[in-house]
Amino acid sequence: MIRRALAAAVVFAASFTALAFLALPIVAIFAHVSPGRLAAQLSNPVVTDALVVSLKTTLIAQALILVLGTPTAYVLASRRFHGRSALVTLVELPLVLPPAVAGIGLLAAFGRAGLLHTSLPFTQAAVTLAVAFVASPLYMRQAIAAFEAIDPNLVAASRTLGAGPVKTFFRVVLPLARGGLAAGEALAFARGLGEFGATIMFAGSLRGVTQTLPLAVYAEFDVNFTIALAVSALLVLISAALLLTIKLVLQWQPSRRTSPSRFALSISS
Amino acid sequence: MRTAALLAVCALALATAATAAARTRATITVYAAASLTDVFPRIDPTPKYSFAGSNTLAAQIQLGAPADVFASANTTLPQQLFQKGLCSQPVVFTRNTLVLIVPKSNPAGIHSVYDLAKAGLKLDVAAPAVPVGSYTRQILKNMALTSVLNNVVSNETDVREVLAKVALGEADAGFVYSTDAKTVPGQVTVLTMPAWAQPKVQYGICVVKNSANASAAQAFVNEVMSKAGQAKLLAAGFLPRVKPKTTK
Repeated sequence: MIRRALAAAVVFAASFTALAFLALPIVAIFAHVSPGRLAAQLSNPVVTDALVVSLKTTLIAQALILVLGTPTAYVLASRRFHGRSALVTLVELPLVLPPAVAGIGLLAAFGRAGLLHTSLPFTQAAVTLAVAFVASPLYMRQAIAAFEAIDPNLVAASRTLGAGPVKTFFRVVLPLARGGLAAGEALAFARGLGEFGATIMFAGSLRGVTQTLPLAVYAEFDVNFTIALAVSALLVLISAALLLTIKLVLQWQPSRRTSPSRFALSISS
Repeated sequence: MRTAALLAVCALALATAATAAARTRATITVYAAASLTDVFPRIDPTPKYSFAGSNTLAAQIQLGAPADVFASANTTLPQQLFQKGLCSQPVVFTRNTLVLIVPKSNPAGIHSVYDLAKAGLKLDVAAPAVPVGSYTRQILKNMALTSVLNNVVSNETDVREVLAKVALGEADAGFVYSTDAKTVPGQVTVLTMPAWAQPKVQYGICVVKNSANASAAQAFVNEVMSKAGQAKLLAAGFLPRVKPKTTK
């Protein structure tokens, strides 16, 4: 009896410590200066410029990820071939790579002195590429899992009923995987919005061109700490809203048989 | 048995605490401008160093970072800390000059600072809050060339970022200290800037007030100011801390 109470106390203490540890920095951002002053900073041109750059580059990067990533994920999920695990590892690699390594890699590939000799560095396109590179695995993992969870009999039935592979993909596969794809996309969006290391190395930092919200936090840290806090608060709110959206989207379709939500929740929560 | 284990744990904890205390007594933490990255460890390899833009370091010290010594690429930042009671009265320990560097391949064909006005050129500089970024804007202002700032492609966080991007050949040109350019021989071409346009580049050093090792910190400052320390700085291309009297 005492032992059980002790165990409960230990579990409670551990959870409390963990939750407090996670909550403290978030609370501190909002507690450091009054919400009124934080909100007032949001109309500062540094913040609005960074917001525009961030939204533009992240949205284009997400479009790239969706258009190129979805078919890639489907092939990796539905085909079994030699080297498949190597390819899946390649797709997942940016998730665990330090962003600085991503930055160096992008410079070595797309820099003027790099493999492809492009003049991408210091452009907004470079920001977009950096974001796409680091954010894509979050979408790809979810997409592969969502496609793998689809009952192959449904696909086969669609084909025997006369639908071609393209029609089957758009009418059967995509609707069934919708929840997982949306969750992955939201996660990738949130990760892209927070991208810092690869961007500052590959694209630099120039207000209105390549300075995204996280870069603005870093640039303003020693110039105007209140602006840095305000941008941080904005990023916290956007990220929290995105994660909450994912949860809601997945809860709307709880009984889906091919639901990939089990996997999605394990990543997002 | 249990008591023995407990004693062992206690002894271990004490030993760890003791060695930790000994270590903190011996090792100080020096926050120093990025341009000092190569020369400071040559003066004294023992401290823990944190090299970054002086402005970033000053902001960290204001937020309570555990620095013992602050060596800045200007005198205003340590002076500000001194006025806030956060560090000792700063002293000037060296000086430097600003140069324009271009990659060895010189893709934009820059042969003088006046070529920086070419349209579409990629000029890399440090952010205005970074000392070298402020000096860059001063020298351009002195030469009535502030319009070339329209060609800036990035505001870097410290001088070594500028150096790296020019040395890599990603940027067409950049402003750094002459001492930074010396660390990448063969990768960049140095274009000197006229003496009359040079801003006053003085480095200030101070002991951080809440340092737990104030005496060791002061000893480090003395070492930098000593003949041997100054010789190491001169060897790296820094200028004597006091401008020599010009002889007619």
